[in-house]
Amino acid sequence: MIKSKCTCASTGNCPSRSRRVIVLSRQLLGRLLMLGASVAFEYLFCFRSRGTVAGHLRIFGVFTDLYGQIPILAFIVFLGLGYSRLKTLREEIPFGRILFGGHFFCMAVVFSMTIAAQKGLGWRFLDPFGYTKSAVYLLATVLLALAYIPPRSWMVALRATGLLWLYALLAGVTGWFLGTTVKSLWYSTSTIDSGMMQRATLHEVQAVLGIFRQDVVVDPTTFTIGTQNNTIMISGGCSGIEGLGLVLAFTSIWLWHFRKEIRFPQALLLVPCALGCSWILNIVRLSALILIMNVSGFEDAWAGFHIAAGWISFTAVALAFSTATEKLSWVRRIPPPDLNSAGAPQPWSEPQGESPAIRAYLLPFLAILAAALVSKAASANYEWLYSLRFFAAATALIYFWPELKKLNWRIGWLGPVVGVAVFLMWIAPAGIARILGHPPAVNSLGTALAALSPTARWSWIILRVATAVVTVPIAEELAFRGYLARRFVSREFDRVSFTSLTVLAICLSSIVFGVEHMKDLMDWQHLLLGTVAGIAFAVALRRRGRIGDAVAAHAVCNLLLAAWVLGLGDWAQW
Amino acid sequence: MTKNLLKNSLVVLGLAIGICASAHGMAFTKKTPEVDPSMAIGAVTLLAGSLAVLRIRRGK
Repeated sequence: MIKSKCTCASTGNCPSRSRRVIVLSRQLLGRLLMLGASVAFEYLFCFRSRGTVAGHLRIFGVFTDLYGQIPILAFIVFLGLGYSRLKTLREEIPFGRILFGGHFFCMAVVFSMTIAAQKGLGWRFLDPFGYTKSAVYLLATVLLALAYIPPRSWMVALRATGLLWLYALLAGVTGWFLGTTVKSLWYSTSTIDSGMMQRATLHEVQAVLGIFRQDVVVDPTTFTIGTQNNTIMISGGCSGIEGLGLVLAFTSIWLWHFRKEIRFPQALLLVPCALGCSWILNIVRLSALILIMNVSGFEDAWAGFHIAAGWISFTAVALAFSTATEKLSWVRRIPPPDLNSAGAPQPWSEPQGESPAIRAYLLPFLAILAAALVSKAASANYEWLYSLRFFAAATALIYFWPELKKLNWRIGWLGPVVGVAVFLMWIAPAGIARILGHPPAVNSLGTALAALSPTARWSWIILRVATAVVTVPIAEELAFRGYLARRFVSREFDRVSFTSLTVLAICLSSIVFGVEHMKDLMDWQHLLLGTVAGIAFAVALRRRGRIGDAVAAHAVCNLLLAAWVLGLGDWAQW
Repeated sequence: MTKNLLKNSLVVLGLAIGICASAHGMAFTKKTPEVDPSMAIGAVTLLAGSLAVLRIRRGK
């Protein structure tokens, strides 16, 4: 059994780390990060229906979508290029509570205006272009910036980074201009040469399909391709541009972050290789989609396959790219050791890379995620391959069991009690709706299962319950509480005792846990429920330092949820 | 100096175009069939976790 004893006291690793996070939020760099996160949160979540909702934020009469990318890009470039210099500014700065209160008030006004505009209230016609709302929003943002970072600290930051603000602004404008210009490659209505990528994709998919079938039907004017039975339309997004954009963003961030470990300009050659792979995989994806749709019984395969296959492609390309930068000797550069003035290695320099223990804690959960992608790719109405998650996680857990069995898996009374409490909380919204007489949400799962033979139906249900009650609780507790929560405390996470988890680490890991349970970007309910559940499981774990308590809590909650679903036919809860 | 400027400019340019291009697909509207936030969250987590595992310290 791994003793729940924190050895970081001897290394000085854990306390300094946790304190660093707290101190960082009082320093300039931390405040800039907080500012970016706050503005992004408010912009993305509070004004999500952009461009489609009356009363949407406009600046100078133009929707902010059109040039909202400029400040975002400028901010990223400013932080990225100025990171090392901003990190040296360690003076603790005060927090402007009154200014923050003003910001909060302004945002409340903006939010009220948005809701009023959505409801079509008459006063909106007094300000049809939303100038008032935009002005209040800008004021709110300025107040927030000054609340986080006082004017004096802004000046210090600008002085320390020289003309970087100008370069960042130019980069923002350049990125916006190029981003807007290249859109013509996949927007088929803007210019005569537009839709080029769709056309190229169409021709290449046609060539691939021609190898397998003789009855290929193509209509270049509508970008439609397929067979006489089934056709698909290659929209702007399907042209491969999303994959190329994601790959380009990922490779740029990767090269920048690990620039000290990578040789330039050799590494830049890998970028077009990654883009080429992304393009080819998109052709393969579309061709496979059409071929699958022409197999009897898989006509609806497009529903899951075309989205999941896109994400599988991106993940594969990103992993191949990162592996190449690490393994290829002509790209990889071994960083020089952190030396002191006498030329000796710094005794306090932190070890590079993750602790090897990460494999046992993360891979079972990653196996579930990978199996979920494959399962969703093969599904239309319901995940008939759901059991893949069970076998994938079970295989990983068995493989790492020699290492995992050293943990304390004993269970006390607290785990099941927490599990029951979390279940009650989780089911409360549906329970209240039932009490009020509202019918349960319509879900295709129940209908799909009813159409199966009894053997197939019960096999699926048994494996679904086994996954929810056995493998998912173990894998998720190992990943979120065993690894992530302790990783927020120290890089040497396996040396951190469960009983010494900090409040900050518990909260941050629980928020990530909540995000994992969201079914939609605006699914606040599951975000909140998941976060609270994560905190409850962490509390069960922290009390006696036993992973078994957290797993028991999670398993009891999922078991009760399964009983609710099967007993009441509330399939939406699955 | 020139090499550094070129390197940084190319990386920033790539980042800028990449974000703009992928922003096209990130409209986050329920009407867009390409976007499935839960699948996106799962895929990004899978990628981040895999990268963390691949970054295991060497020599152990």
